[in-house]
Amino acid sequence: MEGLTAALMAIALAGLGLWTLIRRRNAIWKLLGLNVASGGSILFLVAVAHRPEARPPILGMGPGPAADPLPQALVLTAIVIHFATLALSLVYVIFLTERRHTQDVPRLERPRRRR
Amino acid sequence: MRWAAAVAVLAVMGLLALATLGLFPRGPIPEWEGPTLAYGARNAVAAIVLGSRLWDTLMEVLVYAMAMLGVRMGMRTLPELASSRPQVAETPLLLKAADILIGVVLVFSLYLAASGHLGPGGGFPAGAILGSGLLLLALAKGADRLAEELYEPTLEGLEYGAVAVLVALGAATLLLGVRGQIPLVAANLFIGLEVAIGAWVVLHRFVSHRGEI
Amino acid sequence: MIVAAGGVLAYFFLGVVGIVTGRGRLGGALAILAGVVSLGLWAPGFPEGLLGDPPWGIPLVGDTLALAFWSFIPLVHAAVWWSERRRPSAFHGLVTLLVGTCMATVLSRDLFNMYVAMELGSLLSFLLIGYDARSRAVWASLQYLILATVGMILYLFGVGLVYGTLGTLSLSRIAELSPDFSQPTLAVGIGLLVAGTAVKAGVFLVGLWLPAAYGEAPAGVATLLAGLVGKMGIVVLARLSEALPVGMVVAALGLFTALGGLLYAIWERDLKMFLAYQVVAHIGYMLIAFGLGGPAFLGGILYAVAHCLFKGLLFQSAGQAVEAVGERDIGALAGKLPRPAAWGLAFGTGAIVGLPPLAGFVGKEYIGAVAPPPFSWLAVLLAVGAAAAFVKLVPLFRATSSEGDWGSMGLLAAGVVGFSVWGMASVPHVWTMDAVGKALGAVVAGFGLHFVLRRRSPRLPTVSMDRISVAIVIGAAVIPLALLLRG
Repeated sequence: MEGLTAALMAIALAGLGLWTLIRRRNAIWKLLGLNVASGGSILFLVAVAHRPEARPPILGMGPGPAADPLPQALVLTAIVIHFATLALSLVYVIFLTERRHTQDVPRLERPRRRR
Repeated sequence: MRWAAAVAVLAVMGLLALATLGLFPRGPIPEWEGPTLAYGARNAVAAIVLGSRLWDTLMEVLVYAMAMLGVRMGMRTLPELASSRPQVAETPLLLKAADILIGVVLVFSLYLAASGHLGPGGGFPAGAILGSGLLLLALAKGADRLAEELYEPTLEGLEYGAVAVLVALGAATLLLGVRGQIPLVAANLFIGLEVAIGAWVVLHRFVSHRGEI
Repeated sequence: MIVAAGGVLAYFFLGVVGIVTGRGRLGGALAILAGVVSLGLWAPGFPEGLLGDPPWGIPLVGDTLALAFWSFIPLVHAAVWWSERRRPSAFHGLVTLLVGTCMATVLSRDLFNMYVAMELGSLLSFLLIGYDARSRAVWASLQYLILATVGMILYLFGVGLVYGTLGTLSLSRIAELSPDFSQPTLAVGIGLLVAGTAVKAGVFLVGLWLPAAYGEAPAGVATLLAGLVGKMGIVVLARLSEALPVGMVVAALGLFTALGGLLYAIWERDLKMFLAYQVVAHIGYMLIAFGLGGPAFLGGILYAVAHCLFKGLLFQSAGQAVEAVGERDIGALAGKLPRPAAWGLAFGTGAIVGLPPLAGFVGKEYIGAVAPPPFSWLAVLLAVGAAAAFVKLVPLFRATSSEGDWGSMGLLAAGVVGFSVWGMASVPHVWTMDAVGKALGAVVAGFGLHFVLRRRSPRLPTVSMDRISVAIVIGAAVIPLALLLRG
């Protein structure tokens, strides 16, 4: 049952993250929400890999069934990708804060002034 | 708008939960021992990441390296905040301890990278650990002094050199069918190098432009 | 397969080496050469094969879709290379990597590999859109980054559900297993895959980050994005609807996208934004073709290739015009354009509204000929709408100054001409008097419609990030629900 619990927790995390992303006006808050939601998606893949009473998928780590190695490898990739995009988007937020002096999304996306 | 968003988020969560209930209990997993050994590994995740699905991993390394390039490019256009940087109190004990600790961290991360195909570990955790070791050192010494010691253009060359070597290794493993422990260890070491340098770049850029650790 | 993968790896290697050594321009040129050589070696295509050992290897395939894209990718890359030749080395390295990523995406038939390729493509696009460090472009790029990541999170949940049920990530293996797609786990899983990719592909409402991103990008980058990178989400949706029973959903999304994009394009006054909304409309058109499948699938490929060429040409001309004059408003630009930009716009407009000998005609007529009734009527309606939208570019066709850059314009225009000639030779059955008459009639009707619509300017809802993100979540609820209830 640990797998199911973890999967449901992952879904709850993703929902919380998405809600934060939608409701908050501040760009940093949006990124935080995004990060929580991506954490949810990663935890979900880990929960998919889980088997009851399983050992790590390493040869010589004792008897019994092993957890599924493929989702764990996917998770490794997904974590790095999410970290990279988060770092890059934080840099862009810093840049916008310097130039536009705001992190408020509705003000950032105000349309171009007509000349 | 608010209600629509709330209903939609709840609906997505509900659908996902409904779908997840159908996923459990889980079935048996496919045979994994043979393919793992074929790549000269004992850790199945290493055999997948550095063997069967190296194609994915190459693109992932490129994502990481390009994001770090983006951090450099984005930060270069911003003014450096030299004056607002906090002064670090110089205590001999702290400096000495940090030097010893970074040695331990370096050895540990090398161990993790070099043995990643046999047990838990691998290039990415090793690089992340070395990167956090550098963070520790930056806390003790001040990021500026550390930056003087680690000459950045060389590091940049090393980072992209590591990525280029990884692409070449990928060609050897995927196209020419090279198998065995040596490509796995080499790939783990180069990934570790690339991740550690990238982590240091992010840290240093953020510190020198925002003035805080 | 080895040769094709080797071509992609050569692209990656040359891009990275170009960034390290500061010779990105040379690296780009060599990469174009490597791409052409690799294509020449695998040209008739190759059957699906595993890159890496089973059970985890990544299936790659060289089918018609991959072949069609590979055969004009070097051309688009060369045009971008030429138009941005004064840029520093890192820029060319990034472009090379991005083009290599597109080549990898069209080969892949693996759910997770497509995710990684899409993420790499988006990340490189963010860097290129924000390359000039103008704050509006950086904002457009950040918005793209956040919304595309939301889409990709949904996609990852879909991957987890599908893999958890079937134990494989290979699309053709899933099609072989032909499981019961109406069970809740799989229905929601494939629904989330489609909903997540729709964000990347630029489907109307969930993908409306696209006009801002394309409109703010520098000229060469916009050419690359509109021509090539923007197709990657569509290619993934095409691959999904090949293997999974989501064709009708994709076609319905396409219908919605085509109408919505056209609605916003008709009254847009900003030249680059206008072209970008027009891209949305055409994305819808391609999705209809790919979603319907069967013979329409080939029509979709034809149209996607033609669209890459003439939309690249239009964005290249528009970018040059905006950079030369310093105005973006269509009214303010009229009569001030340099000659290459004006001629490029004229030629591209002719191709996009489907004037008979040119590229747009072949793709449009092919789809119109094979699509079942509601969609084929719609094709006519869309042709009329596109013509009506493009009539307002007519004042821009008169050039005043002769300086300007002919190189990349010439390359892309040559591509359009080449495609038209090829289309005339190899798809002769669309060349009936009836079809030609219909196409000309649509252009004339569009002219008329333009003068009817010109006096009205309805107040369309503004596009904002909050609205798009709500739309994404609603889409992620509605698409799986539709698949669930259908089953």
